Amino acid sequence: MVIHVTDADFNEKVLNSDKAVLVDFWAEWCGPCRMIAPVVEEVAENLKDNLVVAKLNLDENPMTASLYGISSIPTLVLFKDGKPLGKIVGFRPAAQIKSAIKGALGL
Amino acid sequence: MFDVAIIGKGPAGISAAVNAFARNKSVVIFGGDSKKVLLSPSIPNYPGLPKISGKDLMERLNEHLKLTNATIINKTVIAVYAMGNYFSIQAENDFYEAKSVILATGVDFKKSIENEDTFLGNGVSYCATCDAPLYKGKVVAVVGYNHESVEEANFLAEVCQKVYFVPMFKGEFKFKENVEIIKDNPLKFDGSLKAEKLVLKNSLIEADGFFVLKDSLPLTSLVPGLEVDGPHVLVDKRMETNIKGLFAAGDITGKPYQVAKAIGEGQIAALNAAEYLDQKK
Repeated sequence: MVIHVTDADFNEKVLNSDKAVLVDFWAEWCGPCRMIAPVVEEVAENLKDNLVVAKLNLDENPMTASLYGISSIPTLVLFKDGKPLGKIVGFRPAAQIKSAIKGALGL
Repeated sequence: MFDVAIIGKGPAGISAAVNAFARNKSVVIFGGDSKKVLLSPSIPNYPGLPKISGKDLMERLNEHLKLTNATIINKTVIAVYAMGNYFSIQAENDFYEAKSVILATGVDFKKSIENEDTFLGNGVSYCATCDAPLYKGKVVAVVGYNHESVEEANFLAEVCQKVYFVPMFKGEFKFKENVEIIKDNPLKFDGSLKAEKLVLKNSLIEADGFFVLKDSLPLTSLVPGLEVDGPHVLVDKRMETNIKGLFAAGDITGKPYQVAKAIGEGQIAALNAAEYLDQKK
């Protein structure tokens, strides 16, 4: 499942989520972000039993991005039980993202 | 989708383009003219052209390149990703796809700044066009290794509150008012979760972000998963790397750093890339 989150509902939808959440920090002007969008959707579909993918537009939601020290995009951050478990900076193929998530979640 | 993407426009890259074109493959070639060739006053050992200067040779190579179908893209390649059946190439803020890739970026002995790789993506960036908007109204520092980095620093100055520029080459610089030149030797990046400081020999720069702008990036960040030996890529006799469909040619594969070897290897890489493509069909 792919959802869209904002500074306002980040707590509720990401930090308080029962499932693990992969947050995709992106922006309109970022070329690699457009490339990774379909890849992230594929990952969401593949791991739908264990994972929610949340997209966060960095220009519209600067607070969350600044809180987690996002300094280059795309950045993917995996959250579980309200805590960031790890992050991937820059474009990656789906297989690499999936294996990183599976490793972090012990799937 | 191109058949062959060539990273680097020196003798090896152009030789690869000429040969891939001869094998009827579509070609895209990235990069500017080889500075190493351009700066050679004379190349005495390239057979048949005994007194040619580097500048003349580069001109002749470019003329030859124009006789091919190659699409020439003068941008820095940030990364090459193996996608399984094809490659995705990020050149600054744009992506290109190709079925095979030939690395011909030359060899770079410039040492990275300490912790440059540790903080890459965490306050350190290789691409100003990609990440500049993240630093709107903030303070950044640029370590510039080439003339293009001056333009990039001015571009950052439009967005950022202040830009520090550390030149790693000699030249006259024309900058906007909010750019401050720091002539000093960068030693290492420092910070807790992200890079916060650049320690130089005689000074210290604190900034929100750091841009390291050079002609070619460290191989391990250029191609994730590539097997390397120091500044060189490991290849077999067919000039293929450990990644299927990814070849390398020229100075990047090791000594001797000579035009004749680069041209020969460019040909071997291109012919084997063509064979790889024909077998895939």
